[in-house]
Amino acid sequence: MIVNRLEVMFGGQAGDGSLTTGDLIAGVFKRMGLEVYTYKDFPSRIRGGHTNYVIRASESRDYGMADAVDALVAFDLEAVQAHIDEMRPGGFVIFDNTSEVVDGALRREDVTWYEIPLAKIAKTEIGLELVRNTICIGVLGALVGMDPQIVRNDVTGVYKRKGEKVVDLNIRAIEAGEAYVREHFADRPSGHGLQAKTDGDRLIMMGNDAIAYGALVAGCRFMAGYPITPATDVLEWMSKELPKFGGIVVQAEDELAAITMTLGAAFAGVRAMTATSGPGQALMTEAIGLAGVLEIPVVVVECARTGPSTGMPTKTEQSNLNHLIYSGHGEIPRVVLAPGTITESFDLTVAAFNLAERWQLPVFLLTEQALCQSKATLRPFDIDAVRIDRGKLIDDGEVTFGEYKRFAFTDDGVSPRVIPGVPGGMHLAAGSEHNDAGVITENAHNRARMMEKRMGKLVAMRDELPRAVLHGVADADIGIIGYGANTGPIAEAVDRLSAAGVPVRFLQLRTLWPFPEDEIRVFIHGAQHVFVVENNFTGQLDRLIRTVVGPLDVLHGVRKYDGRPFRPVEIIEAIQRTAQTGAALEVH
Amino acid sequence: MATMTAKDFATATPSWWCPGCGDFGVLSALKAALAELGKQPHQVAFISGIGCSGKISGYVHSYAFHGVHGRALPVATAVKLANRDLTVIAAGGDGDGYAIGAGHFVHAVRRNADITYIVMDNQTYGLTKGQASPTSATGYVASVSPDGNPDSPINGLALALAAGASFLARGFSAQPKHLVQMIKMAIEHKGFSIVEVMSPCVTYNKINTYAWFKEHLSDVSNSEGYAPDDRSAAFNALTREGSIPMGLIYQEHRPTLEDRTGLPALPIAHLDLEASRGQYAAMLAHYR
Repeated sequence: MIVNRLEVMFGGQAGDGSLTTGDLIAGVFKRMGLEVYTYKDFPSRIRGGHTNYVIRASESRDYGMADAVDALVAFDLEAVQAHIDEMRPGGFVIFDNTSEVVDGALRREDVTWYEIPLAKIAKTEIGLELVRNTICIGVLGALVGMDPQIVRNDVTGVYKRKGEKVVDLNIRAIEAGEAYVREHFADRPSGHGLQAKTDGDRLIMMGNDAIAYGALVAGCRFMAGYPITPATDVLEWMSKELPKFGGIVVQAEDELAAITMTLGAAFAGVRAMTATSGPGQALMTEAIGLAGVLEIPVVVVECARTGPSTGMPTKTEQSNLNHLIYSGHGEIPRVVLAPGTITESFDLTVAAFNLAERWQLPVFLLTEQALCQSKATLRPFDIDAVRIDRGKLIDDGEVTFGEYKRFAFTDDGVSPRVIPGVPGGMHLAAGSEHNDAGVITENAHNRARMMEKRMGKLVAMRDELPRAVLHGVADADIGIIGYGANTGPIAEAVDRLSAAGVPVRFLQLRTLWPFPEDEIRVFIHGAQHVFVVENNFTGQLDRLIRTVVGPLDVLHGVRKYDGRPFRPVEIIEAIQRTAQTGAALEVH
Repeated sequence: MATMTAKDFATATPSWWCPGCGDFGVLSALKAALAELGKQPHQVAFISGIGCSGKISGYVHSYAFHGVHGRALPVATAVKLANRDLTVIAAGGDGDGYAIGAGHFVHAVRRNADITYIVMDNQTYGLTKGQASPTSATGYVASVSPDGNPDSPINGLALALAAGASFLARGFSAQPKHLVQMIKMAIEHKGFSIVEVMSPCVTYNKINTYAWFKEHLSDVSNSEGYAPDDRSAAFNALTREGSIPMGLIYQEHRPTLEDRTGLPALPIAHLDLEASRGQYAAMLAHYR
C-alpha cells in the first residue's frame, strides 16, 4: 500500500461545487498533518465547461503536482476522457455512473474502477442532488483512510453558516459515501492509505492571499485594481481587509485608471499597489514609465496567465517576463521579483514595498496562475521580522522652499521625497524631463545627468535585492535555472535525480531584474549541462542568460507552453535524455 | 497667517503659452480663487493632463503633478483619497478630458470624490499644431480634417450631468471676475465639481475666438427663474440650440466618495504603519 502519497483530481463541470469540495479535502489532509498542494484548472466561464481541482498530499513540502494522478474523482464522462491518460498505473477512479458509462479504450485496466451512482444516491437517499460532492468525500475518505472525525468537523465548519439543516444533509452524505464503500468495495482496497500525523503550527493558504496579506503587513494602505483573472483574488482580499486598517481599495474603470490611481496615492505618501495580469499589464505600460521618471514607489503584482490577447485566462504561463523587463517607451529603472512558494509570495511582497520606497521606482511582483491560485501548507509568517523601511521619505515637519529639491542628485540616485501637505516642499512632478528642482527642461547636460541618476539606482541597489536560492547538490555537473511556479516541480525533480545517483543543482532566481548576471555566471561556471526550465515558447529566460553569458553549448531550453505547469517527470525526462545525448530538446 | 494673494501661487517658471492664449485667464483666475479662499500652496495638490493646458501645473505654486495624457482624474481621485486634507484640483484640455480621458471623466464624475476639475476648452488640439478636438464643430477645417471635421462635437457638461455630476459651471477666460467666482464655488463644493472654461486658442482656432464667445455665451443667472438645483432645467440649458450657457449650471449635494467609503478623518498618508502590527497574527486563524 502506498502511504501518505496521494494526488487526487476532482473533475466535473464548472459550478458543480468541485472547488468547494477540493478545498474541503485539502483542509482535511492538512489537519491530518500532511503537506498539501492544490492546483485549480478551471475554464474561463461561470457555469459549465470541464473543470478540475488537484489536491496533492505528501510528507514533504512539494509545491507542484506529482508525476501523475493517483485518484481521479470523475463526476462525468468528460472528466474521464480528459484525464484518464494522466493516471498512474495502480491508481483508481471514482466515477458517477448515474447516467453515463465508461467503456472501450477509456476503461483502462491498470486502474481500479469504483463506479457509484452518486447523483442517484444524493437524490434518493439524501434528497438533494447537490450533495453528491460530499458523498464523494465519504467515498474517498473510506477508500484512502481519511480521519472520519476530521472529515465531520471540517464539513460542519464549512456548512455551518448555511444552517443546521445543511450541515445535517452533508453529514448524512458523508455517511452514505462511507457506507457505500463498506457495502460494495470491502474486497477491493484502493492501494492507498493515509496515516494521520500532527497538524502542528501550520497554515494552508493560496498564493494570492499571501501576496495580499504581505502587502497589508508591509503597510500597503491603498489599492486600485480592475478585476482580471487570475489577479482578482488580491483585489477582493484587500477590499475586505484594508478598510479595517484605515486604508481604501478602489475598483477602477480600467487598468489605465488602476495604475494612475496607484501612482496618485503613492505620490501623496501612501504605500500603494495594483494587481493585474497580462492584458491589464499591457495597458499600464505608459504609466509605469511615468512612475520611473517621477521616481514614485509603486508595487505592481502581475499574476501571469496564458497570452497573448485573451489567451487562456485561467491557465498558467511565464511569457510576460520580457514584457515586465522591457515594456515602455524610454528607459526607466525597475525591479522584477518572482516568488517560488507561498511563503516567498509573502516575503517578496514585503520586500517589494521596501525596495519601491527605498529606491523610489516601480517594483513588479511576478507570479503565475499555477502558484498564485494554488494553495499549500506552510509555517506561519514571521510578522515580527517584517521591517518597514520607507527610505528617504519626508512626511511631516517642513522643508525650506528654494533649498529643497525633489530630484536632487545624490550618491545613490535617490532624492529625499516630500509628500503633499508638507510646508515648503511644493514642486512640480513632471513626466517631462526636469531638473533637480522639478522644473521642465530639455537641457542636454541635465538630461544625461538625470538618466544616470535614475538608471544608476539599479547598480546601487544590487546588495538589497532578494538573492537566488540554491537547491540540490552544490557541486553537481548538471544545473537547472528557473523561477516562480516552476520552483516546486524543479526542486522535486532535482531531489529525485540526486537520490537516483544523478546529482543536480538548481538556481531558483528570485530577482529577475536587475538581471542577476553575477549569480548566473557563478552558477553556470563548471557545469556540463545547464537546463533553463520555463513555461513559454521562445525561451525568454534562456535568451536573457545567453545575452549575459554568451551562446554556451551547455545551455538547454526545457519549455512548456500548453498552459499547464510542469510535472516533475517532464523535467526529469528532459534532463535524462539530453545529459545522455547532448542534444537540445523541448518538452511539450 | 498673512492674507494670501494670487502672487503666492505663482511659480518662477516662465509660461510656454502663446501670447493672448486663453489659458492665461484660467491661470490667473485659479491663483486668485485659491488666494481668496485662503489656501496655502502646500495644501494644494494640482494635477494636470497633457497638452497646452496641461502645462498649467508648472505655473501654480503647489504640489503639482504633470502626468500622462488623459489620466489626470484618476491621479487626482487617488491623491484625495490618500490625503483628504488636501485641496485637490485637476486641470486639462478638451482633448485630455473628453477624448483620451473620456473614460475616466465619466467615472470620476459618478464617484463624486471631493475634487475640482477645470476643463480648458479651446475646441482644438494646440500643442500638436491644430487638429480637431472632441469639442470642435462639425466641419471645422484642420490639418487632419482638411475637408472639415466629420464628427459631432461632444457636450462635456451634458455628459457629466448624465453621469451624475454634482457641480457644473462654465466660465470664460476673458471674464476673470466671473471665472474666479466659479472656481471658488467649485473648490468649496463638497463633491466632484467641474468648471469648463472657454479658453480660446489664438493660434489655431480662428472660429471660436474671443469675439465669437462674447457673442455666444449667455449666463444662466440672467434667465428668469433658472434654478441650478433643477436637473432637467440644467439639461435643457446645456442641450438647447443657440447660446452657450455659462455660470453655475447645476449643483446638488450628495455624499462624496470619501463619505460613502467611510474614509476615516485621519488622512491615509498620515497613518502610523507600525500601529497595526499587533493585529496581523490573529488574521491567520482563518488559514489554519
